[in-house]
Amino acid sequence: MSKPNYDRTHHAKMATGIGDPQCFAGKAGEPKFKVGDRVRVKDLPDLFYTRTMVYTRGAEATVVRLVYESPPAENEAWDNTDDVEWFYSIVFKQSDLWPEYNNTYEADTLETEVSERWLEKA
Amino acid sequence: MTSSTRNEVHTHLAMMGQVQPALHNETHAPSPDMIDHTLWRAYTRSCHDVGGEYDIPIRYEEKEEEIWELNTFATCECLAWRGVWTAEERRRRQNVDVGQTAYLGLPYYGRWLLSAALILVDKQFVTNIELSDKIAEVKKRYE
Repeated sequence: MSKPNYDRTHHAKMATGIGDPQCFAGKAGEPKFKVGDRVRVKDLPDLFYTRTMVYTRGAEATVVRLVYESPPAENEAWDNTDDVEWFYSIVFKQSDLWPEYNNTYEADTLETEVSERWLEKA
Repeated sequence: MTSSTRNEVHTHLAMMGQVQPALHNETHAPSPDMIDHTLWRAYTRSCHDVGGEYDIPIRYEEKEEEIWELNTFATCECLAWRGVWTAEERRRRQNVDVGQTAYLGLPYYGRWLLSAALILVDKQFVTNIELSDKIAEVKKRYE
């Protein structure tokens, strides 16, 4: 007779009275990028889970905000919070994402959030 | 088994052919060399990542939540507060693990509810048989 035992309290212990993602503050080290940096989204393997949309891969964007430190979605989706990363809010030109985008709306942008592992210097 | 059960079984089997993802090729048990990189990437794409996929416009409708939907939301939040899952694990289960056919085919809160039941089984808080027995017991009340 046996079954695996899942600890239901570890996340509560970290976040109670502090909040999430506040409980991960200071755990990601120095951020690799700063506001205004031009970055490109890497086309990393994304088996089983990601929040980094495929349509952003390989496209260039500008960092507009360092939003918080958190375990990346690819690990947190299995309740693993061991590795913490900086999250960046980045802005693309719509015409850089969609080849058929109407150039009447050249100024249109799209803003989204990605964790540091997805970004490289453009 | 009653014949109404058999009827339901055969209706179910006929329906399965209709809910298969619509890749219009013969796809059963392909040999490995039939799956090139493009197909591999398509098959392993997380099904919630629909951005940029070709589709037809769908009508936007304002709809009030039903009682069972609100109850489902509250139940799932309680599971989070009690440490059973984080929001990210819930999303992974309800948006990706369900598979493309169910992702596109089931109502939004239907997927929440299904995932809540499965995580309780996966993490050993109830057994699959306890769950099945409870479903059968509740079903009987309406017979």
